[in-house]
Amino acid sequence: MLHLTNSQRETIWGYLFIAPQTIGFILLIVLPLITIFVFSTEERNLLTGVVVPVGFENFRTIFQEDILFRKVLLNTLTLTLGLVPLNIGLALFLASLLSQKLRGITIFRVLFFSPVVTSAVAWAIVWRFMLQGEQGTVNQVLQLIGVEGPNWLRRPEWAMLSVIVTLVIKNVGLNTIILLSALTNLPSEYREAAHVDGATRWQVFRKITLPLLAPTLLFVTVITVIGSLKVFDHIMLMTAGGPSNSTMVLVYYIYYQAFQFFETGYASALAVILFVIALVLTLGQWLLRGRAYDD
Amino acid sequence: MSKTKLFSLILALSLIVMSAVGVSAQDPVSLRFTVWVGPGAAMDMLNGIAADYTEANPNVTVSFDTLTFSEYTSQLVLQLAGSNPPDGGWILENTAPQFVESGVITDLTPTLMAYPDYNFDDLEEAALGLWRDGDALYGLPFSTSPFLIIYNTDAFEAAGLEDPNALAARGEWTWEALATAAKAITDSTDLYGFENADGTVYAEGFWSTIFPIARAYGGGAWDAEGTCLMNSPETVSAVQLYHDMVFADGSAVPPGEAATFAGGQAAMRIGQISRVAQLDGATFGWDIAPMPSGPAGSGSVIGQAALAVFRNSPNADVALDFLAFMTNATNSETMSQFFPPARASVLSSDTFLNSNTRLSAEQMQLVVDGIASGTVLPSSPNYSQINLQTRALFDELWIPVADIQGVMNTACETIAPLLAN
Repeated sequence: MLHLTNSQRETIWGYLFIAPQTIGFILLIVLPLITIFVFSTEERNLLTGVVVPVGFENFRTIFQEDILFRKVLLNTLTLTLGLVPLNIGLALFLASLLSQKLRGITIFRVLFFSPVVTSAVAWAIVWRFMLQGEQGTVNQVLQLIGVEGPNWLRRPEWAMLSVIVTLVIKNVGLNTIILLSALTNLPSEYREAAHVDGATRWQVFRKITLPLLAPTLLFVTVITVIGSLKVFDHIMLMTAGGPSNSTMVLVYYIYYQAFQFFETGYASALAVILFVIALVLTLGQWLLRGRAYDD
Repeated sequence: MSKTKLFSLILALSLIVMSAVGVSAQDPVSLRFTVWVGPGAAMDMLNGIAADYTEANPNVTVSFDTLTFSEYTSQLVLQLAGSNPPDGGWILENTAPQFVESGVITDLTPTLMAYPDYNFDDLEEAALGLWRDGDALYGLPFSTSPFLIIYNTDAFEAAGLEDPNALAARGEWTWEALATAAKAITDSTDLYGFENADGTVYAEGFWSTIFPIARAYGGGAWDAEGTCLMNSPETVSAVQLYHDMVFADGSAVPPGEAATFAGGQAAMRIGQISRVAQLDGATFGWDIAPMPSGPAGSGSVIGQAALAVFRNSPNADVALDFLAFMTNATNSETMSQFFPPARASVLSSDTFLNSNTRLSAEQMQLVVDGIASGTVLPSSPNYSQINLQTRALFDELWIPVADIQGVMNTACETIAPLLAN
């Protein structure tokens, strides 16, 4: 009979409790991730089944020969840089508005959150119709005020912006709710004290509310940045990467290489690059987190 | 060994052999074929053929698995790479060279040659070209369906236009005549004059619409030697014609709009006879006409799909036998109402002309004529790459002021290495 101390027994129970989650994590996340790393060093064709180990050849091709890759990277960057500030800025603005204690404010909260629970596929398809050239709702509304709108999804200079705005409207509700709950939980003493000292509303917001919100803002930024790197459904349904590859982002390019060209080795190498980008960004933001809490 | 002993040994051995044969003949086999046709009359017909096969071979059941058309090839390849591959399936013409070269499909000739009453020579050799590699045949084109113009007779009447078939009879049904009619309809009704093939010309289906026009003008996409024809004056005039319809005349459904022929918002479309089923319950009259001709003659183009058996199938022999059964003369005739076969005897038969309940014998004659003069759509082992790279370039065509020659020159330069491989 094994004699265990209380703390040893607790440790064993602890491990037993996290075992299901850990096993699932290893089987469904860690192993596929390792597999991707192995695939990325091979030339693999899904159709023919041919597998040839090629070392880092895929990466060399991506960085030195793949002209489209540079555009893809730039598109991904554009999407992230366009989406993240717009989403968080709007979410902050909406959260400030919705935090007012007004009659019927719940209706507005539900209204802004409803796109989040809408199916992304339905959302993208409806927006594709609304953004049609001449007969689209958006352009017909614009026509009422005498503006002739462009063919949003068919012009390279407008397509990415259209996708970004559609995504922001779809997802801003989630960030709004997170920021709203943080706002309502902020201690009111500091703000009241500042008001008493004669600070303007803007000064209170800038010097008191914003610093207090910093940890939440950081969290929201991290999930929005990672989310922006993974955008696939809207691109697939609204533009299919076009026109002129102007909305071909990294995830969609990975899909294209793997399931249209059947080059799974090359696609895995691209996926490794995406993984590294997401990892670096997250680590960077994690390091900033310390500062956010200190402030 | 005594005679009795020898006799018992032979008896015992033959019993063992017979029982073994008996068991293998009755082992239940279930075959799975991938197709892109969904539930409906065509699927019922396929299931009927499968049921007939099961009646003759009680141990075999055949099921048809529907994959979405737009994702068909990628889904099929994923299934083939998985642990439960389908035994056979349909393959689309533009990926034919890719599959033939990949080595994942089986040579059909030994089975078809040996199959009783198959009459291999009845198959039109011209229709098999895409699926051959030397003497081997890797796919059997069960559907060799010419493109036609399906048109709204009410809209033609409303615009006071002459019937396209009457023009065709006089040899005056040209692409220019079509463009003129489309403009007249757009100007005098609230319909678009023309919808491109399945609404895909601005995306993955560029050639389904442009190739027939280019062919009528004497151009094309690329030839068998890998020479790019996209920037030839003939192809450029073909693109110009369609471009003018979209932007100068406003008569063709423009990029990003969802107006359809079946929905009654466009008066003409390019389509095959299988698309006619979409018109059940249409609130307007319709008819079919041949593809218009051009300076270089007929613009007839054929969309092809073939049946193949996959090498990884654990029951490849049975699947081959079913493929032969499905494409024999009798079943080809059954399938011909939806999928015109490459069998001379069926195409020349009255049964074929009267096979489609939605089309008259006269209309079906257009199908026969279309097959005789048609060419298949462009294909290449690198089709997916070519499609991705050119699609991005072709997007530059669909603006009011486009440099068509410039875009087509760039397209040829871009895909030259892919055509050379």
